[in-house]
Amino acid sequence: MPPKNPKGAKAKQNPQEDQREDSLQAVVLADSFETRFAPFTFDRPRCLLPLVNTPLIEYTLEFLANAGVQEVFVYCGSHADQVEEYINDSKWTSKSSPFRALKVLKSTATSVGEAMRNLDNLDLITGDFLLVSGDVISNMNLEPALVKHRARREKSKDAIMTMVLRETGVGHRTKSKGSRPVFVIDPVAERCLHYEEMGHRRGGSRYVSLDPELLTSHGEIEVRDDLIDCRIDICAVDVLAQWSDNFDFQSLRKSFLRGVLKDYETYGKTIHTYVVTDQYAARVKSLRAYDAVSKDVLGRWAYPICPDSNLVRGQSYRLGAGKVYKEDRVMLGRTTDVKRSVIGSDTRIGDGSTITGSTVGRGCNIGKNVTIDGAYIWDDVVVEDGSIIRQAIIASRSSIGKGCKIEHGALIMFGAHLTQDSSVSANSWITRDDNKDHNSNQDSDDSDASSVGSSRLIYQSPSASSSLSSISTLASSEDDLEPPRDMLRRSSFRSDPSDDAGENRDFHVEATASILDGLQKNDLSDTIMLELNGYRMSTNASQHEVRKAVVAAFMKRISNLICGDNASGSGSMSMREAVKEVFTRYRALIERTTFDKDAEGKVDQVDFLMLVQKEVLWRPNGDQLLLFVAKEVYDMDIIEEDGVLQWWDDPRSQEGEMGKVRELTEQFITFLKEAEEDEESEEEDDDED
Amino acid sequence: MPAATGVTAPSLTTFTRSVRSKGISVESSTDNLISLLKRRQIRGSQACAIATAYLLRRVVESVKVTDVGRLIERVQQVGQRLVSAQPRELAIGNIVRRVLGVIREEAEEDREGETSGYSDAGTDSRPHTPRNQDVRSPEHSTILSRSFTSSPLRHGEKDEQVEAPGQWGPQRPPLLTSHASYAVTNTAPTVTSMFSLLSQPISNFPSPTTSPGSQSPGIHQSLSSQTLSNITAAKDLKAEVVEGIQEILEELTQADDQIAGYALEHIHSNEVILTHTSSVTVQKFLLKAATKRKFTVIHAEAYPNNHEATHAAAVGNVRGDFDEDIGAEKFQKALTAAGVTVVLIPDSAVFALMSRINKVILGTHVVLANGGLVAAAGAKAIAKAAKVHATPVVVLSGVYKLSPVYPFDMDSLMENGDPSKVIGYDDGGFVDKVKIENPLFDYVPVELVNLYITNLGGHAPSYLHCIIDDHYRPEDIDLDKVDVY
Repeated sequence: MPPKNPKGAKAKQNPQEDQREDSLQAVVLADSFETRFAPFTFDRPRCLLPLVNTPLIEYTLEFLANAGVQEVFVYCGSHADQVEEYINDSKWTSKSSPFRALKVLKSTATSVGEAMRNLDNLDLITGDFLLVSGDVISNMNLEPALVKHRARREKSKDAIMTMVLRETGVGHRTKSKGSRPVFVIDPVAERCLHYEEMGHRRGGSRYVSLDPELLTSHGEIEVRDDLIDCRIDICAVDVLAQWSDNFDFQSLRKSFLRGVLKDYETYGKTIHTYVVTDQYAARVKSLRAYDAVSKDVLGRWAYPICPDSNLVRGQSYRLGAGKVYKEDRVMLGRTTDVKRSVIGSDTRIGDGSTITGSTVGRGCNIGKNVTIDGAYIWDDVVVEDGSIIRQAIIASRSSIGKGCKIEHGALIMFGAHLTQDSSVSANSWITRDDNKDHNSNQDSDDSDASSVGSSRLIYQSPSASSSLSSISTLASSEDDLEPPRDMLRRSSFRSDPSDDAGENRDFHVEATASILDGLQKNDLSDTIMLELNGYRMSTNASQHEVRKAVVAAFMKRISNLICGDNASGSGSMSMREAVKEVFTRYRALIERTTFDKDAEGKVDQVDFLMLVQKEVLWRPNGDQLLLFVAKEVYDMDIIEEDGVLQWWDDPRSQEGEMGKVRELTEQFITFLKEAEEDEESEEEDDDED
Repeated sequence: MPAATGVTAPSLTTFTRSVRSKGISVESSTDNLISLLKRRQIRGSQACAIATAYLLRRVVESVKVTDVGRLIERVQQVGQRLVSAQPRELAIGNIVRRVLGVIREEAEEDREGETSGYSDAGTDSRPHTPRNQDVRSPEHSTILSRSFTSSPLRHGEKDEQVEAPGQWGPQRPPLLTSHASYAVTNTAPTVTSMFSLLSQPISNFPSPTTSPGSQSPGIHQSLSSQTLSNITAAKDLKAEVVEGIQEILEELTQADDQIAGYALEHIHSNEVILTHTSSVTVQKFLLKAATKRKFTVIHAEAYPNNHEATHAAAVGNVRGDFDEDIGAEKFQKALTAAGVTVVLIPDSAVFALMSRINKVILGTHVVLANGGLVAAAGAKAIAKAAKVHATPVVVLSGVYKLSPVYPFDMDSLMENGDPSKVIGYDDGGFVDKVKIENPLFDYVPVELVNLYITNLGGHAPSYLHCIIDDHYRPEDIDLDKVDVY
């Protein structure tokens, strides 16, 4: 029996408490608040993408059922309706569900932090709970971890969380090659002492910096980077309180874990680890991991979670000769060669086709002499004769014409059509043209109904798993497809990556988030400034970065106001009103980050406008937005006339895309210049007199 | 997955508890069992059989209609769902068939009461129709089965023959009891059929011997379903069926002990016995023999799926998590403690040692209709080696493991397990480059087995079909098409 947990400070007395007190609760974060599965996640939430023909969330719920969880809260961000619809249809909400209750919580949270704070407010969690993301696959037996967690809780109320980590060797395929989490653990107390993410690419450090105190105060410490962090956390209610108390926490590991560990001296909260060595646990956190985990499931590593356990109602996979999992009503040609693959029902495969190590969904129609090698083909896909597909992902309802060639790492979006003899080069992605106008390089000569963009978001190359922990909700519908050059490091704050190189990205992301948070809560600008300054000092960020964060947050806020993002509770406004609202209220923020009012060269002001310009580059109606902002800051005298003009003349603001976006602003500048000339001429007149 | 002992993780124990509580509907119990089977939280023939029996009892209890046809339909429905949830656990299908058999039998008895002449027409060709008359003295049956039992071993074992006569006397009582207790439900037909084999003209015999596929269940089906649905069963039909299921449950829990009752007939002093895996059935059998005899057990460790349990079995503290993990708690004394010399060997050394071994005793997962086994991986290698050395192979199996399914599609009966038992998942390089497989089962063809010992006694492989025929109605064999074909 779990010990009675002390209620978090905010937890109210719950009338049903007695009834639920011995049940284990779980929170599934169905939205990862990341964009690693773009472009698929534009149409479908990540947790419903099929992995070996079974939606990801099924695996997670299966895992929870296995662990004996009674109550589940599925926390949705983007595409909440789809998730809700799916879950209401599934066996998990039927009468015989192993869960006593399963609730879908919809929210507009844009980060894990917001989600957790929201959860705390909802006051649903009554005891220890499991926090997992909606893409966990595991056959792990959680009991020993739970027992240990409870034992620790009985001893000390400060042991608020236990992270379940899977040990792997060096260079494992499910590990991300981008950033590697490094855990510093006291093996005796099984306590996590320090956490850092190391990346081997730029932006991540190659060093772990340890507090020398740790070395003296612990008899034994382990520094490990061989652990897969599958984001299975056993939390006490206090964890939610922690999230609420520290409203700047955004991400689970980078801010929450590090924050709590840092504050150990002050609050004494400890976070523990449970290292698993013999069972399977992985998280499908990127396309690369998707590939790896699919292989694992096919290779039965997650046994008994295998295709032939038919987790979803209505599945009928059976393992037959040649390690092929087939459902009923699969039609194979007589000379079809299928090995180590999964094939869904009502799929036909023509003569002479070869399929190895792939998954093929339901209702697919695959012609003759097709070669499919290591590819993931979802439902209702048509592949015509003679095509060759290698390690690509082909989403549902798309069709591939005769003799097409699809190379490694290509991503074919939902409903895309490839005409005869087209070839898709490695690591590019293809979407339906009607998906929206995006003005990127269109190689439409080899595909007529589709457009092609080259992406670096592919699962083969190590750069694929971008190290950036973006804090955006992915693919909200207004998100346009971006020009490819920004794909790699896309965040909702849309900062141009090129000038980030040596900068403190952490600062930017977190500062932006904290400002945005303040803006949404209608905090006083003083409060926000205070926080920002504190943060600036602690991370030694430059004024330029502070400005950048301010600009990013402002722009985000404005677009929220325009599009009626209900996180803030405000309805939609016109762009002009939104700009006015934000800038009037928070002018102090900008004034206090520009210090050149009296100087001759308005470097800071120019910089500010430049940042705005860059920021609006990828926003819908960016040119208008720029005009309004420029006008507004000028009218409010935040930026002086000289500043505006200096910015206008700055060569950096005229190049390429930047030039395009400011076209609308030209009228404003002309107006300014004319006004100036008038003034000058008046002055001249005066002189003449 | 180790047997769950804690509060949270579901298992057979939590299931049996929940299925008994009235608060939970039959439908949700069924779904619950299906998901437990799918997640392999209930695994192994015995566990599956027990869970199935509990569920079916609940199903029968809850059915409101008194119409036999409906009852049968309902049980078939549930049975089909269970079987398709885990088609490799053939024991589920066996229990479903047994329950169906009980229902049909009770219905027929009722009908016989009403119209006695009619029943003969319906079941004429079946050898055990005159069931009512055959309350024979159990002594006959024991003698018969005993003589049958020892015959295949006679040529292989000389000292057995010498010792054997001495064993008959003390051995009789347990045999009698086991038969007597069993006779209530199913032994009677067994015995009858054996007698009919001897006493009746041959013309009756061939129909049950042919494979179940070639039997003409069509006539039977139409006849019986038509007639059955016409009958409205007596009020106590349900109670009788429930009682019948209760007896099946008892049989399930007692099977191992009953099998162990035959141990002294088969294990003799100073023999060297080879066994494999930590099967509780085998362990109990050996322990029983150890109460009277001194012998040596060579234990192949069954790496990688069952070696830990095997090691534990040798020295005590059995956790038996592989096949029969039900009786594990009751089973505490280790072989070594019982005075048996235990030699543990890797599976690869089996052939080398075979020349010194007197007898191979194997547990099994399932026995198929042709006598072939689906047993823990490694069993086939052992049986082959035994064949080469002309060492007799004895298979211990409860009747509930005996399936009327024919091994047409071997691949779908075999299960592949978790490869991480072979190579740890942490070995990234290996995992990525090498395909690792870990089959859990072997198919041991019938030619490699010399004797089967069930809770009914010892049987030659060629005799198994009779037991199958006695336990399963031909109309139930085709329980679900997927299963058979």
